[in-house]
Amino acid sequence: MRILCALHAHLGLVTALQRFPELHGEPVIVGGAPELRLPVVAASAAARAAGVRPGQPLRQAQQLCPAAAFVPIDPAAVTRLREAVSATLLRLAPAVEVGDDQVFCDISGRHVQHIDEAAWAAAIARALDTALGAGSPAVGMAGSRFVARMAAMRSGPGRIRRVRPAEEATFLAPLPLEVLPIDPAMAARLAAFGLDCLGAVAGLSPADLQRQFGPEGIRLHRLVRGEEIDGLHAEPAAQTWSERLVLAGPVGDLEVLLQAARRCTETLGARLAERGLAAATVRLEYEVEESVPVAVAEVAPAPAGNVAEAWTVVLGLLGRLQPAGPVAAVRVEVGQLGPAGGRQTDLLRPGDSARDAVALAAGRLRARFGEASVRRPRLALDPGDLPERRYVWEAPVVAAAS
Amino acid sequence: MPDSLSAALATLRRRYGPQALRRGDQQEAAERWPTGIPILDGVLMPGGLPRGRITVIAASSSRGPSGRLTLLQSLAALASRSRDVGYVDLAGTLDPGFLADLGADLHACLVLTPGHDRWERGLAMARTLTGAGMPWMGVALGEQDRPRTALWEHALAAFAETVSKRGAVGVIAAPAPLAAPLAHASSLTLTCAAAGWQRAHGDVTGLRVRVTTTKSKVSAPGAEAMLLLRYPRPYAVAEVLGLPSVVAPAITMVDTELMPAAAVAPG
Repeated sequence: MRILCALHAHLGLVTALQRFPELHGEPVIVGGAPELRLPVVAASAAARAAGVRPGQPLRQAQQLCPAAAFVPIDPAAVTRLREAVSATLLRLAPAVEVGDDQVFCDISGRHVQHIDEAAWAAAIARALDTALGAGSPAVGMAGSRFVARMAAMRSGPGRIRRVRPAEEATFLAPLPLEVLPIDPAMAARLAAFGLDCLGAVAGLSPADLQRQFGPEGIRLHRLVRGEEIDGLHAEPAAQTWSERLVLAGPVGDLEVLLQAARRCTETLGARLAERGLAAATVRLEYEVEESVPVAVAEVAPAPAGNVAEAWTVVLGLLGRLQPAGPVAAVRVEVGQLGPAGGRQTDLLRPGDSARDAVALAAGRLRARFGEASVRRPRLALDPGDLPERRYVWEAPVVAAAS
Repeated sequence: MPDSLSAALATLRRRYGPQALRRGDQQEAAERWPTGIPILDGVLMPGGLPRGRITVIAASSSRGPSGRLTLLQSLAALASRSRDVGYVDLAGTLDPGFLADLGADLHACLVLTPGHDRWERGLAMARTLTGAGMPWMGVALGEQDRPRTALWEHALAAFAETVSKRGAVGVIAAPAPLAAPLAHASSLTLTCAAAGWQRAHGDVTGLRVRVTTTKSKVSAPGAEAMLLLRYPRPYAVAEVLGLPSVVAPAITMVDTELMPAAAVAPG
């Protein structure tokens, strides 16, 4: 496996500078007002130069850098920016993990548009730079997550550091113990043993480390040799999107409700089409005046990936939902989002995507009507004498995985 | 034919394609799925089962077993050797072991059990899977499945539309007399009538069934033949290995003489 790590400006700082562009180049501390008992979330380069570090109390940061501008973090804007970065990078890499100030991408194998690993990494770095607009990231590439991050930390902004396969241990050997993502007490014990760099720890046997630190010792041994097996923690796409429309006044007219649902569906459908996603479930909710909301949901017969497909499902739900009183707001929700496209294997072996589509449809039917509604029989290996023991039922799965 | 009419027909063909117009005595072109059984592909439904159409196997069970479900399962078993097959078991009679004995590749079979008297749900499930790309879908209606016309019509029309859109094979085994929407939606209706048990050494080894093409939009109706639906005997080794225990189709043609009514077993 090959992993790319790119270190960039904290998303909280990027969104803050997008809100207050006049603060570019100034010392900026993100976290809130200094009188609050909160930690520093992020700091601009000028603030860091004054000694401000993330995690410090805001009051201490103010003492270190009295001229800094204190800006509260905007979680919604950060989430939107993270989604945008994720969507951008997913066009370049099959799996992406976007953190607050670092990005990991899976760059195993080859990319058809880039001649080698370095060109691929450069394309990812450029895309990240464009998406954030906060300067070129520092990039590292290696066979494991930890080594890639170390490589990124030892390169500089706009530079790529590559650790070739089988050279991870050599690269890590001279690094100090402080870089290890382990419990400080554990690091202190290692230092007490006279170990001052990762190479010294790598020279110990895994059995010795396990005796000292238990299961963590084995992990430590892998870590210092660059053999860590943790891959990316790629976040799944948001499971549910919803759109709510507050009506000008409580309404009982079904035609008005239909138009409101239509507007919500159009917004959601356009968003689905734009992101290349499809929803397996659709839910319609009426917020009834002075009463509890009423809702109805349905598993779509086929994943809804655009306005027309989503509207077909919502139209069916509209007929089933009878509000008990005037409706104040309409909400349409799409859930279980997944990629709308077919599988690439279909290029090589026609029919795979159709089988997968059938298996996925069967999965939705099982979710809707119960586990026993769609099953695949399989002959039992030990049938015995009873006819009903000649076969067993199993769940249909995607063909490629079966 | 007047010149003006000929010119109009030529214009229509040029504009909408040669398939837009056909003479009344010409059969509608339909793609076929050949079963590989000569009596079915050659006599009862020339070329095989029509694709993108609904085929109905109808029979009345008032005189005992009719063979319609065995025929449906035999066709499903045949289809499973080359493609994925869905089987909606509304009748509640499917035994996957028997399906395997008929030579089915069980890995290619999906069994849908919507529940007793849930024919509308069953058709919706069949429609969903067909829409997702299931190329062969069988629906087995039970003797009690005689739904109300309006609901039946809606669910059936949606299923038929999906079968047509996806070019799938849709086969429904239903009790006779057929509900009006089903009779209307069918492009090919095969009517089964039991003609007696096939016996060997005192054992029942099959059922003789007279099959008549009572309706066909894709070929000339009225064809008639006698089928022997052989009951396969399971072989333990073949089962364990997942191989078909009966390699040859379990349907064979016998003579076209009607068996005496006395030979039909009751119950």
